[in-house]
Amino acid sequence: MGRKYALFLGCLIPNRYPGIEAAARKVLPRIGIELADMNGASCCPAPGVVKSFSRPAWLAVAARNLCIAEDMALDVLTFCNGCYGTLADANHSLKADRALRDSVNSKLKEVGMVFKGSVGVRHLAEVLMKEVTPEGIRRAVTKPLGLRAAVHYGCHLIKPKVLREWVGSAERPTFLDELTEALGAESVEWEDKMACCGAGGGVRSAVLDVSLRMLNRKLLSAKEAGADFILNVCPFCHLQFDRGQIELQRLYGLQPYDMPVLHYVQALGLAMGYGPHELGVDMNFVGMDRILSKLP
Amino acid sequence: MNDVRADLKNLKIGVYVCHCGKNIADVVDVKRVADFASKLPGVEVAREYLHMCDDVGQEMISKDIMELGINRVVVAACSPKVHELTFRDTLRKAGLNPYLLEMANIREQCSWVHRSDPDRATEKAIDLVKMAVAKARWLIPLETKAVEVTRSALVIGGGIAGIQAALDVADNGYQVYLVEKGPSLGGRMGQWSKVFPTMDCAACILTPKMVSAAQHPKIKLLTNSELIEASGSLGNFKVKIRKRPRYVDEEKCTACGLCAQKCPVRIPNEVDFGMSSRKAIYITSPNAVPLAYSIDGENCLYLKRGICRVCERVCEAKAIDFDQKEEVLELRVGSIIVAIGYDPFDPTPLEEYGFGRYKDVVTGPMLERMTDPMGPTGGAILRPSTGKPPRKVAFIQCVGSRDARFNLYCSRVCCMYAIKDSLIIKEQNPESDVYIFYMDIRAFGKGYEEFYLRSQEAGVKFIRGKVSSIREDPRTHELVLRYEDTLLGTALEDSFDLVVLSVGQVPRADTDAISKILGIPRSADGFLMEAHPKLRPNDAVVDGIYLAGSAQYPKDIPDAVAQASGAAARALIPLSMGQVYVEPISPLIEEDRCGGCGVCVKLCPYGALKLEEREDKRVAKVDEVLCKGCGTCSAACPSGAVRSRMFTEEQILSMISSAAG
Amino acid sequence: MIENRKGDWFEPRILGFLCNWCSYAAADLAGMSRMEYPPNIRCVRVMCSGRVEPSFVLEALREGYDGVLIAGCHPPSDCHYQSGNLKARRRYYLLRKLLRELGINPDRVRLEWASASEGQRFAEIVKDFTERLRRLGPSPLKVKRVGAE
Repeated sequence: MGRKYALFLGCLIPNRYPGIEAAARKVLPRIGIELADMNGASCCPAPGVVKSFSRPAWLAVAARNLCIAEDMALDVLTFCNGCYGTLADANHSLKADRALRDSVNSKLKEVGMVFKGSVGVRHLAEVLMKEVTPEGIRRAVTKPLGLRAAVHYGCHLIKPKVLREWVGSAERPTFLDELTEALGAESVEWEDKMACCGAGGGVRSAVLDVSLRMLNRKLLSAKEAGADFILNVCPFCHLQFDRGQIELQRLYGLQPYDMPVLHYVQALGLAMGYGPHELGVDMNFVGMDRILSKLP
Repeated sequence: MNDVRADLKNLKIGVYVCHCGKNIADVVDVKRVADFASKLPGVEVAREYLHMCDDVGQEMISKDIMELGINRVVVAACSPKVHELTFRDTLRKAGLNPYLLEMANIREQCSWVHRSDPDRATEKAIDLVKMAVAKARWLIPLETKAVEVTRSALVIGGGIAGIQAALDVADNGYQVYLVEKGPSLGGRMGQWSKVFPTMDCAACILTPKMVSAAQHPKIKLLTNSELIEASGSLGNFKVKIRKRPRYVDEEKCTACGLCAQKCPVRIPNEVDFGMSSRKAIYITSPNAVPLAYSIDGENCLYLKRGICRVCERVCEAKAIDFDQKEEVLELRVGSIIVAIGYDPFDPTPLEEYGFGRYKDVVTGPMLERMTDPMGPTGGAILRPSTGKPPRKVAFIQCVGSRDARFNLYCSRVCCMYAIKDSLIIKEQNPESDVYIFYMDIRAFGKGYEEFYLRSQEAGVKFIRGKVSSIREDPRTHELVLRYEDTLLGTALEDSFDLVVLSVGQVPRADTDAISKILGIPRSADGFLMEAHPKLRPNDAVVDGIYLAGSAQYPKDIPDAVAQASGAAARALIPLSMGQVYVEPISPLIEEDRCGGCGVCVKLCPYGALKLEEREDKRVAKVDEVLCKGCGTCSAACPSGAVRSRMFTEEQILSMISSAAG
Repeated sequence: MIENRKGDWFEPRILGFLCNWCSYAAADLAGMSRMEYPPNIRCVRVMCSGRVEPSFVLEALREGYDGVLIAGCHPPSDCHYQSGNLKARRRYYLLRKLLRELGINPDRVRLEWASASEGQRFAEIVKDFTERLRRLGPSPLKVKRVGAE
């Protein structure tokens, strides 16, 4: 059974990693996920930075994006943890608090919109886990990856726990590992698996030094665990893992990790037999040779 | 007294507006309120004063009653829950019927909640005074009624608080029923080995008290028993206690233990938090009181499946009695003391600490059991994974306490028990390293700060910061703690071989059931609520029911004992008075209006109303002992014959119209 | 939340019936905790929400109050008198029907539960109800009364 969603792309995917969008548009329809474009969607806006400066502004812009999906009468689908954090949490707050909703609607009136609270917000990982199921993925896979993946969940995907009922455990989740194993890859145990990548919350922009030290720990432990690549479900984490390796090299003179980084839709594409170029994986800063040579 | 119509002609109302220091006067223009009140019909005098409840204020009222002939009093001040009784007393002493008083709550429900809008707060205060004056016009003199008291008390819970309360009441010569759910007295304190800050052996100071309670001629000890029903009120409660069978004759059992040796059923021992096992026939401790074995009906093979009976065969004293049946006892008591205690917080939901996943992560109470010579390790502190003494131990404070995800309150005992255990670890192995990760150390009790210093001197390291995660190093099986040292301002990591989670106290699992049976509310934290947080910490919200120990809020032993003695002293008041005065809460039935329809009879939750035959008709009749004064009958009576004395229709309707817009 | 700029709009007048054991205690707790709520409500203490006669509510509306709040203990079993709150609830739903028949918006009467520990909840109920009534505007009965004068 096909399901249709309003696709919320956010900023990073179109601007920095369009390959993730390309992969998604090829791969998702083949596992029953139909995508509809949200005309006029803006930045989500970012949950760490914008919300910290002005919650009302954050809510109003998020509500405007949600209104576009409400007009389409479709649930929102995103494969960015930051967009998910903003849209899911804003949607929840606005649905739960009438006074808040009224105040946001008084602002939206200026652009002729009303937030009604009629749609939901889903992260791709949730849809894959609950609607498609790992078994459904396994059926779509034609070329099992046979690689060792260091699975990275990211923060906004699983926290705050009270608003992520579908996640189960926020400290030791397993859904993304199950989805990864469905690709014929092995999800390795790695020491810093549940730590933040270091990008979000304005850390990367404000204190690159701290951000990169956090990243370095993660990369070290992924390497020690013998991972072939890092798998993520968020373009910002993706950017941090990918671009960050180059920065560690340039700014600190570290030996290159050469650790390939894949968004789940790209890994799924490889497992379904698409070529690397079709999935835009060649747009990463870190080369893919280490894994492409191992693929069946 | 039977004339329920107020005497509206000779009204002389006195209105007294209180400043409550600045509590009211800072927001409400008290002078404007008093001026306004003085012009209301029927008001003879209106005054304002700094503290109406002090001697001068009360004197002001009684002088007016005696000299100006004031016959209705309105006090505009705090909540009636705070000072209604005070001012009723003032009226009584001045020779006026105490029920001719009405309070206007212009503090809790006005000045304290409308601080940012003094003008509208003053308008509201004026309205509240108008309403109180309107009600006062319709007040009628009422009489309290003396009722004989049942001179005995019920104490629920056989921990240190319950034992202390029971002993105090019994030593005053009154009968006490001490109800304990488990097979022995002792409660939580009975599980601990040494107690802070004296390092006394808990059993050495607790056991004599348990024995005194059990042997006291005025205490009837009911173990394996629980409260299942309660009715009545202050001075005369009727309670039902379910006593589960022990299947062992307490008199005959010599506690030789042969039965337990032979019993084939082995289950986790709850006293040791599952770190050891016990049999289906068991004793909670060698110091148990009563010192008799008990069969756990849930796990006994004979009681579940009709096979075995090996205990019966080996018992030389012939104490096993499978014919014992569950009993329900009905008791009458004048006071009830609730001392049901607490449960330790279960840290499983804090996934970041891995309790239940990593063997060497234990709770404070589990460590406590290890320090007990009669505990699962014979008194030695050992790593559960290896059975060897730990070399480096971490205590994590405030687990489940002061945490918005779980409980906001401070559990008050965890700082001190962690410090105590750190000293015991240092005593057992001076070479070991002990770290305590804390947010604040709260060493508030007598001798506690000194105790804290002692542990610092012994080399225990105190790190101010919260541990964010624990993981096990797969190679060394050591526990790696990631934490922030807020004094150094940096995030760090360190490895330990034993981690102790200092869990706090949470309301006992059956707190909700007890609160419903007794009709006493709980606070937002889940503990049983006191009648006043400062001035009546020993009383439950319902008269005649008192609170002792951690049932009310987390407490250490000295505080629990002190509160228990306080609760006992409070509970003794009705018992020693012999009589209690019942407020005139029951409705008055105007027989000539009553049509005998019986609607009120069906609605009354207490069966306090019934129909009586008169010569020409049937009329409703109220039983004043059973009635609790809710007024549901008044609300339903189609002919207005059932009249709530303190909340009559005239009173309420005139309040409504007096402040209408 | 719309800001309270004084005098700019209609301020509703609310009558509250609070039961002694739960909601009156909640209102006191809101005070002890210094929580702010709009000063539009005037409360009458009764022992139990079961004491509130529907005629009290009708009388209040007739007298020109814009809204009436009845607050008691949480159902099913918080009621100090076992089931007074359930009786209040039954009467409340009948009363709403009757109000509709009379052409009065039943939302002008509200039944709420607040336990003795829910000061915050009480303050929020009053805030919300005041806001709601501001939007509903003055009671039609009040307008008639004023017009007749």
